[in-house]
Amino acid sequence: MSLLKEFTKGLNKENPVFRLMLGLCPVLAVSSSVNNAIGMGAAATFVLVCSNCVISLIKGFVPAKIRIPIYITVIATFVTIVELVMAAYAPELSKALGVFIPLIVVNCIILGRAEAFASRNSLISSLIDGLGMGFGFTLALTLIATFREILGNGTWLGYPVFGSSFEPALMMILAPGAFITIGFIIGFLNWLDHRKAAL
Amino acid sequence: MKDIPRFALILTIVTVIASGSLAWINKITHPVISAQEQKTFNEGLRAVLPGSGQGIIEPVMENDNILYYMGFADPEKTNLIGYAFQAPGQGYSSLIQTLVGMDTSGTILSIKVLSQKETPGLGTKCEEIRTGETTPWWQDQFQGQLTMDLKVDKDGGDIQSITGATITSRAITNAIAHSASSVLSQIQKSNQDS
Repeated sequence: MSLLKEFTKGLNKENPVFRLMLGLCPVLAVSSSVNNAIGMGAAATFVLVCSNCVISLIKGFVPAKIRIPIYITVIATFVTIVELVMAAYAPELSKALGVFIPLIVVNCIILGRAEAFASRNSLISSLIDGLGMGFGFTLALTLIATFREILGNGTWLGYPVFGSSFEPALMMILAPGAFITIGFIIGFLNWLDHRKAAL
Repeated sequence: MKDIPRFALILTIVTVIASGSLAWINKITHPVISAQEQKTFNEGLRAVLPGSGQGIIEPVMENDNILYYMGFADPEKTNLIGYAFQAPGQGYSSLIQTLVGMDTSGTILSIKVLSQKETPGLGTKCEEIRTGETTPWWQDQFQGQLTMDLKVDKDGGDIQSITGATITSRAITNAIAHSASSVLSQIQKSNQDS
């Protein structure tokens, strides 16, 4: 596949959240506000790109039988680096995402791409794949957060969207709201695909 | 079976490199993080004792522990504004540290939540600042409240809980009430002694 396709596949055709259904735990938790969604997406993208690169570089030395503990060690190391650097140089963002940065370690997108792609592709391809998947994850998070924040809090990125008489739907901020939003988006994407196929 | 020593060696190399990098990053970031925390704390002391800007905030110690702080409006320590103290409490998913400023009659001047790792979008609303405002709306309601019998609405008190974050709200409120009562009894004791 051309490098451009490696990147763009993560945005729609193989979007990790809406198509591959990976990383749904942090998606549920962090998509309640657009600000958190963008922050989490950026941090996860950074970890994904770094871990994809490292795993692609060491793929020759990793025996298949112990690949999972090695991948997880690499991923956990990068996540801890992100956590420490954020706490030191971006304390506000670090406070906003507190509990969820460590959860990037078990974000299935990262382990999934390491196993399915980085362990069998070149460094450049793995880097681009990481970027594409990370962007796709951020896009998905931001889209879901847009719905959840507007309907559940009356704001977008903290700016009020409706007047003060708007009664937000609390459910949208909780897990069921996330599930329902994701379901509708996936349904819509599937419908679009059907229409394209029918043409 | 003969692979095991080879696997063990490779795993050891990986983990040594990983821990080495982490130790190095920690060495660089640790002083920055500590300075950050100290700065937040000092700003917090000034914020919860309004009027102490030109004056002195002094810790009151017992052995090596800081019990509470006394805040004065002037450097000569003649004008006592009130007391500041920490109120830690176990929240939903983290230890919540709150700094409380209290006047000499036990009324809260102001509070500042220093650190928490509660659920984003719910418990974290305790520190949320609405656009266009400058202070966290949930913490503002504590100003002017008596520390005695301080409770959330769900427990019969005056403090409005955050919708969907009752545990966080209750944890902070109860921590303030609890720490305030122990500081007040320490103040009484030292007033009797002097």
